[in-house]
Amino acid sequence: MSQLGKRYRCEECGTEMLCTKAGEEDLSCCDKEMQLQEPKPLPSSD
Amino acid sequence: MNTTDFMSIANAICPERDVVVFEGKRWTFAHLNERVNRLSQALIGLEIEHGDRIGMLQVNCNQYVEAYFAAAKLGAIFVPLNFRAKADELSYMIANAQTKILFVGSKYLAMVDTLLPQLSTVTDCVIVDADVTGRLYYEDLISSSSSDEIVSEIGDEDTTILMYTAGTTGRPKAVPLSHSGFVSYVLDNVAPADPEIEEKNLLTVPLYHVAGIQAMLAAVYGGRSLVMMKQFEVKEWLETVEREKVTRAMLVPTMLKMIIDDPGFNRYNLESLKIITYGAAPMPFEVIKKAIKKLPGVNFINAYGQTETASTITSLGPEDHIIEGTDEERYRKLKRLTSSIGKPLSDVEVKIVDEAGNPLPLLEVGEIMAKGPRIMTGYWHDEEKTAQVMTKDGWLRTGDKGWMDEAGYIYLAGRSDDMIIRGGENISPAEVEGVLYSHPKIEDAAIIGIPDAKWGQAPRAIVALKKREVATPEEIMEYCRSGLAGFKRPRSVIFVDSLPRNQMGKVLKKELREKYGEPEYKSS
Repeated sequence: MSQLGKRYRCEECGTEMLCTKAGEEDLSCCDKEMQLQEPKPLPSSD
Repeated sequence: MNTTDFMSIANAICPERDVVVFEGKRWTFAHLNERVNRLSQALIGLEIEHGDRIGMLQVNCNQYVEAYFAAAKLGAIFVPLNFRAKADELSYMIANAQTKILFVGSKYLAMVDTLLPQLSTVTDCVIVDADVTGRLYYEDLISSSSSDEIVSEIGDEDTTILMYTAGTTGRPKAVPLSHSGFVSYVLDNVAPADPEIEEKNLLTVPLYHVAGIQAMLAAVYGGRSLVMMKQFEVKEWLETVEREKVTRAMLVPTMLKMIIDDPGFNRYNLESLKIITYGAAPMPFEVIKKAIKKLPGVNFINAYGQTETASTITSLGPEDHIIEGTDEERYRKLKRLTSSIGKPLSDVEVKIVDEAGNPLPLLEVGEIMAKGPRIMTGYWHDEEKTAQVMTKDGWLRTGDKGWMDEAGYIYLAGRSDDMIIRGGENISPAEVEGVLYSHPKIEDAAIIGIPDAKWGQAPRAIVALKKREVATPEEIMEYCRSGLAGFKRPRSVIFVDSLPRNQMGKVLKKELREKYGEPEYKSS
């Protein structure tokens, strides 16, 4: 199940997805389940 | 992808979160989205089409954010105008951009009305903050328009903002900034909106400046609340940080100095602050040293960029502001803190070149050049000025002098125009100014070159002393002897009450040269 506002990454090809509407199914890419990325606010300069 | 997607994405993730806090009022992402749609619909009614220019002459306010996104949604080009500009400068910018619709703050209406008869491209003038009889009123446009979503064709490379540089000399130059330039920066550097992370950015930098626009776009994409001040005022800044529990802020060095020197500083709880970014002008070492001590929970970032580079291109990160380690490491970090602007961001290439454009070895001073997807392709309809700063293969001449160390850190040495050459030796004003700033009696200082019969040029110090301090020129010159090579030492000193600076805190060297540049000038 995907979560709103979370990033998912494909460990095979490096594609990242940002979920803007949650759904029941898991996200997959390159025939593998995409991995949930931990929230990580960056020290951006603004 | 274009900048309007920033708003759509954040609105999908955190629609009920405040995106703008201004003068006691709050607008959520959902509110912003709705008001932007309404304003876009109104602009269609005013016959705005893709590529048309829409000007904004007002201090920072919620309508500024809305008007930008409303224009962007139609593929129109937003033209933020410097509200401190004189009438003839404004007239030039509005005409040069061929502005069609002008959003105006009521404070500036009388001046604009005197200009309008000569501005043939302007079809409508909308008053942002007051309902003036017989004039178009912003809130009427919002309330009388549909909130239906607008979908228009916007190319990634389309210009979204035409920004006039706050140049210290000559006519302002218009820099077209594309959607893709901002998208490149934001996606590479800003974490997207997250339901679990709330950040508040206190915006005091004007939105007609690229740093203001960068902060606004980063905030919207990042799901941050943008707490806006009309203009910087130190007490209000401190109160706002405490009241709103602000987590990050961008400041120019003069603002940071005012904050940490404010007599009431210790009365405020500033624990929420986690990041302060500074830039736009050189940071005196004594100021950043004191700020690090007085704000122990804050991560400091020095950001360097220009309008022509569409925001930050190098940064000196929080880890470089922690002076720890062996004596050698501490020395290296202190040196970086005094004049380094850090390393290039991942989507930017930077090199140091000589006057012929050839790359220079490490540690040698030359002009800083930059290349990357965010760098402008040229000034608006001005091939001559474009050719002066852009090479054929896309490198931008920044006009700033600098050098690079073994670890890839870049150091500023001043503006190319400000470099002093004494008897064939280059003198970087920034280096001499750094020494002057460390003098306990000196509040502010600048170095200019003056004609010298024997050496060609000689460095002259223009110095403002701290309140109630007294010093002699000899004392200042002697102090510099201890920290500088002999030829770099100022050969004359002029005392002034304060230095002229532009709105971003940059010293107006041209003005100093005009006023104090005569070899025989004597203080009265």
